[in-house]
Amino acid sequence: MPEDGTRTMHLKDDELVDLAEGARPESSAPHLASCEQCRRQVRDLRAMMSVAADVEAPEPSPLYWDHLSARVREAVATEAAARRPWLDEAAWRRVLMPAWAAVVASIIIVVALSSRLMAPPPSPAPPAAAVVKDTEVIDLWNGPAADDDESLTLVASLSAGLDLEAAGEAGLAAGGSAEHAVTHMDDDDLRELRRLLTQELAPSGA
Amino acid sequence: MAAADQPLADLDERALVDACLANQPGAFDLIVERHRRSVYQLCYRFVGNHEDASDLSQDVFIRAFRGLRRFRGQSSIATWLYRIGVNVCLNRVSAKSTLGKLTEPIHDRQFVDAGAESASDRILKEERAAHVRAAIAQLPPTQRATLILRMYHEMSHQEIASILGSSVGAVKANFFHALANLKKLLGEGI
Repeated sequence: MPEDGTRTMHLKDDELVDLAEGARPESSAPHLASCEQCRRQVRDLRAMMSVAADVEAPEPSPLYWDHLSARVREAVATEAAARRPWLDEAAWRRVLMPAWAAVVASIIIVVALSSRLMAPPPSPAPPAAAVVKDTEVIDLWNGPAADDDESLTLVASLSAGLDLEAAGEAGLAAGGSAEHAVTHMDDDDLRELRRLLTQELAPSGA
Repeated sequence: MAAADQPLADLDERALVDACLANQPGAFDLIVERHRRSVYQLCYRFVGNHEDASDLSQDVFIRAFRGLRRFRGQSSIATWLYRIGVNVCLNRVSAKSTLGKLTEPIHDRQFVDAGAESASDRILKEERAAHVRAAIAQLPPTQRATLILRMYHEMSHQEIASILGSSVGAVKANFFHALANLKKLLGEGI
């Protein structure tokens, strides 16, 4: 500590670096002229910078660079091939569309079946004129009943945008699915389904 | 002329990155070709041996390829690759010690222009260089990164701060301590 009792304020690390690199002139640090410790630090920094600067990285064989490029090219190609199906927008569309179609189709089938099976019991004696013969085709979507039946309206709106081909691609008709159950009914099941539909439609005057 | 019609070599950096993103053949190869030497040297100076430097260089370019969409052109491709390179090297040195490989025989890997200097001069110079490289490779990782980027890749303190995610003052302090520690490691032998 100096005789006058004041604490010596040495130059900070970043100031020493600036002086050693010549980013600021020594004249801008008057302390340097009176402090051997700081002057030595600046000298040491310059010496180590000179030592480090003289060291070059070993140069590999000229053939090595093409080898490195080939390694990178191969690794990148592998990487690109592995990730493409997941990053490609069209691929996402191909994956998601059938899945979306499957979900919508499942909802339609569930709604259609539950609305029929959960319906209240039929009135005991339908008018003779309302009885539908086995050979008649019932148009559920366009017939007069469709206008009054909320469930059919719901089903129609849900299925409006359905891509049936996409639904097929999604494996919707696989064994155990709702569609599979409907399309593989035996004669007794079909007769029962027809009877239920007939009863459902009869009160509305169909 | 539209960028797609221009030769790849004539494209600016942003357009070259866009060409890579458009899967234009050869575009990423050109980035590798332009920067492979500096990336390799960065990695070599970090780990001090050819095998690790080679693996790390490949890793740097693969990560760059994965991150191409995030390249916004706010810095040069070189600075961006250095940033990736420093991160890859820091991860490697924190994951395993490379000190065991630092004594790699220099002449096994180095391409030398034998006609430029006498054999004894060359051997002395290489021994000294190997000694300094080994000392640099023993520096704490952040000090090592700072010294390598400053001394060998001529980056400003500001650029180094950007790469390391620190302040200019911290970079200068790291540089100061890196040089001070290098002096201690080299002792009187240099």
